[in-house]
Amino acid sequence: MRNPLNKRLPREFSKNSGRYIGIFLILVCTILIGSSFLATMDSIIYTINQNDDECRIENGQFESVSTISEELKEHFKNKGISVVENFYTTINDYDGNAKILVFNEREILNIPSVFEGNLPDKENEIAVERLFAENRNIEIGDELTLNNRIFIVTAKISLPDYSSLFKSNHDLLMNTIDFGISIVTKDGFNRFDKNTLTYRYSYRFENTSMSESEKRETTEHIQKQLLLDGITLQSFLTDENNQSISFLREDMGKDGPVMKVFIYILIIIISFVFAVLTNNTIESEAAIIGTLRASGYFKREIIAHYISPTIIISVVSSTIGNALGYTIMLKPFQDLYYTTYCIPPIKMQFSLEAFITTTIVPIVIMIFINWFMLYNKLSLSPLKFLRKDLSKRKQKKAIKLPDFSFIKRFRLRVILQNKVSYLVLFLGIFLSSFLLMFGIGLDPLINHYVDEIDDTLPYEYQYVLKTPIEVDNGEKMEIYTLGTWYKLGKTDINVSFMGVSENSTIFENIELPEKENEINVTKPLAQKLNIKIGDELIFKDDYYEKEYTLKVSGISDYSSSLSAFMKQESLNKLLDYNPDAFNCYVSNESLDIDEMYLAKYITRADMVGAAKQMMQSFESVIQFINIFSIIIYMVLMYILTKTVIEKNELSISYMKVFGYNSSEISHLYLNATTITVLGSLFICIPLEALCFKYVMIYVASLVEGYIEFYLPLWVYVVIIVIGILAYFLINTLHINRVKKIPMSEALKNRE
Amino acid sequence: MKLRMNNVHKYYGEGESRVEVLQGINCEVNEGEICVLLGPSGSGKSTLLNIIGGIESADEGCIDIGDACTSNMTEKQLTLYRRNHLGFVFQFYNLIPNLTAKENIEVCAYLSKEPLEINELLRTLGLYEHKDKLPSQLSGGQQQRCAIGRALVKNPSILLCDEPTGALDYHTSKEILALIEIINQKYNNTIIIVTHNDAIKNMAKRVLKLHDGQIVKNYVNDTVISAKDLEW
Repeated sequence: MRNPLNKRLPREFSKNSGRYIGIFLILVCTILIGSSFLATMDSIIYTINQNDDECRIENGQFESVSTISEELKEHFKNKGISVVENFYTTINDYDGNAKILVFNEREILNIPSVFEGNLPDKENEIAVERLFAENRNIEIGDELTLNNRIFIVTAKISLPDYSSLFKSNHDLLMNTIDFGISIVTKDGFNRFDKNTLTYRYSYRFENTSMSESEKRETTEHIQKQLLLDGITLQSFLTDENNQSISFLREDMGKDGPVMKVFIYILIIIISFVFAVLTNNTIESEAAIIGTLRASGYFKREIIAHYISPTIIISVVSSTIGNALGYTIMLKPFQDLYYTTYCIPPIKMQFSLEAFITTTIVPIVIMIFINWFMLYNKLSLSPLKFLRKDLSKRKQKKAIKLPDFSFIKRFRLRVILQNKVSYLVLFLGIFLSSFLLMFGIGLDPLINHYVDEIDDTLPYEYQYVLKTPIEVDNGEKMEIYTLGTWYKLGKTDINVSFMGVSENSTIFENIELPEKENEINVTKPLAQKLNIKIGDELIFKDDYYEKEYTLKVSGISDYSSSLSAFMKQESLNKLLDYNPDAFNCYVSNESLDIDEMYLAKYITRADMVGAAKQMMQSFESVIQFINIFSIIIYMVLMYILTKTVIEKNELSISYMKVFGYNSSEISHLYLNATTITVLGSLFICIPLEALCFKYVMIYVASLVEGYIEFYLPLWVYVVIIVIGILAYFLINTLHINRVKKIPMSEALKNRE
Repeated sequence: MKLRMNNVHKYYGEGESRVEVLQGINCEVNEGEICVLLGPSGSGKSTLLNIIGGIESADEGCIDIGDACTSNMTEKQLTLYRRNHLGFVFQFYNLIPNLTAKENIEVCAYLSKEPLEINELLRTLGLYEHKDKLPSQLSGGQQQRCAIGRALVKNPSILLCDEPTGALDYHTSKEILALIEIINQKYNNTIIIVTHNDAIKNMAKRVLKLHDGQIVKNYVNDTVISAKDLEW
């Protein structure tokens, strides 16, 4: 015989469909976001790693002014290093202003992956990097005119050495609109003028199991050997230094822990919601449970029955969440990466970790919290259940209330009676309005950051030089990077030391320290390290293995970097340089400096653009967070406030019999909830702002820079308004519900 | 199954507020007997019933059911004891609201290895026509019949009824008592009925009167009358 109690389950789901659908929706959303996000991320990591092997990604590259000899290549080959030509020609004026690098076909290293079409076969055929092609609306079969030569597009491809499209390695920003990569056949490549070629060589270590130190030694050997052979290098980049390769590697996986924490917090809150609901069911069915226990049902059998809805909802939600996560939600998440990076076609993998994180762990958390509550509750004797006395304390005395009016005391009693529901409601409001604050607040926060950079950056152009050269109009300065210990991040961070001329007109607002062992630090640095004037900091120069102790003499409103200012002379003295040494120009006008002398070139637009780009990449996620947090708001409020009415259905019925009208009853019961919701909203706001601030500090501990916490007043107002609107919408449903409670409820046989 | 109460004591409260609600109860109820426990409110009759039913423990003394003593039983053994030997009927039915009458009975049939045939039981209870109704669609008397059916379906040796007619009108009460009588005759269970209705004693073979936790009267009724002839 099947357990007849199981027949209750479909009826329970049908009777309380609103409650279960709400929980189901939150769970499905949480799990589908989590599983699709984590599975996509894992699949991309897998795809990239596999692609790097299959396509034989380079370990580094160098560009020389001339070709290298076959003997030298042979020498490297004997050392286990494949060095291959990766020549390209640069088209600077495609479709007006876009820059395209046209590479010769690749057979040994950095082999392309094809998204669509076929690799070029004829001299007039070309394959174009997919992201650039999409951004420029280039389709297969289109004709491209490059240096007056016409090519037909035969494929959209990705290249392992260009997973991120950085026009130049010293750029701050990727540029997927004005910068593209393409590949032609050998014959096609010969159509370009040899004088326009850049002699790039890519190298790869054939021993793929080399340690980091072995790789470093081998790289040094290559550099040394090139110098010995009299090769004049224009650039030399290892894969780690090459942003086009390393940027994606470093970015991937960073968001995973945040997503996991987000999932777990939500699951815990939903578990508590379930626990509250089950607890209410236990209380309302106390006599039935007492009867079942008296009839011979074991505690475990009762627990199994009452935990069934939790298990069913968790398992069904997880299954559907995962199914949707691996199907309809994959594309949006894949597109997040496809629209940012030039990655090969993602090979979707089943991610065991994502499955455990988004399915097993949530189910275990849900079951454990509910089992614990049930086990604890059902440890009471059958008699206590029969007497509906579910208090563990021996004598439950009414809490004495101040001598308020009857109405106030009544509402207080409702709040006290439902304190657990209200506590979970408070947590739910806290979490959902925190998400909302995050969603709404990120835009002004980043805009503020951008504005601060824009407002405080005292120059338009910065040129970091490889070698000091004299040019007109620029202001010379010395820039040097030293490390200092960052306690919170448990790591060293780099601080840009800026040796500024005493007569600087560009940095005239910065008070340069008088003493040689003093520094004036930027606001972001002071905030990140939590330092104040008078503090002493230890800086390390890892390269020369030196340490410097410097005292903070001032904090400047300069927001664009983690920097310390000194007089140029003082910095040079500290570094044992010539007093006039310099390696950088800053200027408000563009300077005429050949790119070969530049190590880095930054403009105001770059600095501001980098911040804006960061915001753009968040935009779709932010919209999603906002919608999701409003759903959580509504569902949690609906479920938890509904339990208050359900618990008091009989009392409400009595009140009607006594002569109270529905409006008066709503005032008594629902206003208690209104007070709690509004109180929670106002209490939560400062707590959320504090949490947001700490989140920003935490984020700062993970990344190089520092974004100051900033939220304008309107963000707080919007959150409260959304909260109030959401509540009043739900409250209207409840008012109707109160109206529908019949008076006959009170007149039925009741114990 | 013979039921014996040996010097059963029960206390509530501590220190000065300690009250002895059962002050050494000794008596026997024979197999197949209907026993009525009478007494005013607070006399200890429900407490005694709960101790017999193993849902409350005696502070001293024990209840012997056949060869077993409930005071030596663990919680698990007590649950098995209730599962295998007892059926409970309460004043307020305690039916599961979202199960039909038949399904409510099945809830306890599930616990028994050899439950009674449910449809036949429903006919005995006069509920066959109403078997697919939810408790909210049944009258008070029908709900109590259903509760009796739920207790009885396991074919328990002892049926414990705590004020089974307490929430019912005169006629329905008589119907329920008549049903209990029929059940006793049909299944030969020992039935203990707690009531404050003095008239019910007339249908019982054994009558126990409690006052302030003590048995003040314990006698065998020689002139048992049928439940349908009871008057109050």
